[in-house]
Amino acid sequence: MDAPVVLLVVTFLACLAIGVPIAVSIGAATAVTMLVTIPLEPAVTTTALRMATGIDSFALLAIPFFILSGRLIAEGGMAQRLIDFAKVLVGGFAGGLAYVNVLASMFFGTISGSAVAATSAVGGFMIPAMEDEGYEREYSVAVTMTGSATGLIIPPSNILIVYSLASGGVSIAALFVAGYVPGILLGLALMLVGAVIAKRRRYPVAGRPGLAEGFRAFLRAIPSLLLIVIVMGGIIAGIFTATEASAVAVVYSLILAVPVYREVRVSDLPQILLKSAETTAIVMFLIATSTALAWILSYENLPQDLAAFLLSLTDSRVLILLLINLLFLVVGTFMDITPAVLIFTPIFLPVAHELDISSLHFGIMMVLNLCIGLCTPPVGSILFVGCGIGRTTVARTTRALLPFYAVMVLVLLLVVYLPWLTEALPRLLGY
Amino acid sequence: MPANGFVALLTLVVDRVERTLAWLLVLLMGVMVVDVTWQVVSRFLLRAPSSFTEELAGFLLIWVGILGAAYGFRTRAHLGIDLLVSRLRSGARRAVTILAHTVVVLFALSVMVIGGTLLVRLAFQLDQISAAMGIRVGFVYLVLPLSGVLITLFSIESIARAIAVPVER
Repeated sequence: MDAPVVLLVVTFLACLAIGVPIAVSIGAATAVTMLVTIPLEPAVTTTALRMATGIDSFALLAIPFFILSGRLIAEGGMAQRLIDFAKVLVGGFAGGLAYVNVLASMFFGTISGSAVAATSAVGGFMIPAMEDEGYEREYSVAVTMTGSATGLIIPPSNILIVYSLASGGVSIAALFVAGYVPGILLGLALMLVGAVIAKRRRYPVAGRPGLAEGFRAFLRAIPSLLLIVIVMGGIIAGIFTATEASAVAVVYSLILAVPVYREVRVSDLPQILLKSAETTAIVMFLIATSTALAWILSYENLPQDLAAFLLSLTDSRVLILLLINLLFLVVGTFMDITPAVLIFTPIFLPVAHELDISSLHFGIMMVLNLCIGLCTPPVGSILFVGCGIGRTTVARTTRALLPFYAVMVLVLLLVVYLPWLTEALPRLLGY
Repeated sequence: MPANGFVALLTLVVDRVERTLAWLLVLLMGVMVVDVTWQVVSRFLLRAPSSFTEELAGFLLIWVGILGAAYGFRTRAHLGIDLLVSRLRSGARRAVTILAHTVVVLFALSVMVIGGTLLVRLAFQLDQISAAMGIRVGFVYLVLPLSGVLITLFSIESIARAIAVPVER
């Protein structure tokens, strides 16, 4: 590595260590590196320009809308209906509430496209409910968090939109479709671990509601589930772009939350808009500074150098994939998923192409990998929210998470080494 | 103490600014929703896709993203690592916190205020005009220095408060 890149890494880590927000750490490292590379005036102007143009994309507009509809869904009474429906489906097994939790978090993460929203909406209800039935609290938090992370891979998914941008335009629709099989596989694996633990600890059966009541719960969940059908159906059929679908999702969830379910008042809307704008801005600011960083990295020729270096180590596809994934796992523990995708896609996608790995396969593998990092300390947005909702510490939750980490890594390996898991469904649908 | 009086006044001003900023964000976000919804409606129902909605939505996103980021500094919503800092003793912690805020101020001033202003000037000099709406692109970039000033203000207030609060023993 040459001097500017070393300077960049050192500045970034030093900023992170003293508690500078991640987005500014990225921006400061970029600016410092630019200063030693090009003169002062163009350096600050270029950084500013890259930040502004980084957000200027119609595809990214889907992100604020999925965030907004996620918040409307969370506060609009749809979470409760989804939980009731999940109870009908899987409540009857030993450790039933754990299944219900994973399934509800998946539904919710899927509908809202936000794992953090899923953790707080589903966890806020499920964690106390599970505690009442004698589940250990940390176990419930772990189940909620990993279930919500799964929702990031099952479409619609904001992070896959970010990847589409970073990869230079892989079809969002194709990425969405590609996420189904790995996402559902991960969800099933998590339920399996949850079940084994529940059985060993003799956690109670939740009790399946009777047939009539079950049918009623299903009917009540239909409007919420229909949202997935409209959004994903519209995107897959090519009726909507992802951005248009996200706007439809906002209007649909607004209608459900305000006039139909009456859980959100019109006077609550400014606060919901403000909170959504804040969440949007946090993601956008990360995108802005990460885009600037990715630009300076490619200016320093880092992607080419690193690709050449990796390929000089070994020509074994299996080993290189393993190396890349280990790196992502480590990076994912302390970096948020959005900057990680924006910075590492331009660096590693060329290597992946060199190894005959499709952009589609690489994207799903990367996002799945980084999702694990969202639940690991020291930095993990899901981890922080989950521990906050469950009123427990990161250390205790981490211990409860260990078996779930193990199975997530196992599913990751499957997705990495069996490309057809990702690629079969998009191919079937003609992408 | 007069120093504490100054901090209290600063906090009062910053609270006002925060509230104004909040309403501006609500407005921008609301317009963005209406704008893109209108685009969907005009394309499907009226069969006459509107040409300026897409461009307007992109500009609004830049404003919500960059201006909202300033709001996020006030509400401490940005992600960061406090693992190391939280282990320090309170005196050292205060020093490191002040240092972190100073880094934010330096970044906001150099890249966003100075870099952003140069960018705005450049866009006006080149007379860049947007394709659909025909507005000057310089106005869009204006959000960078504006947000930079706000971030600087919010961070300075945080530093002032950190200094004013006595260190716990």
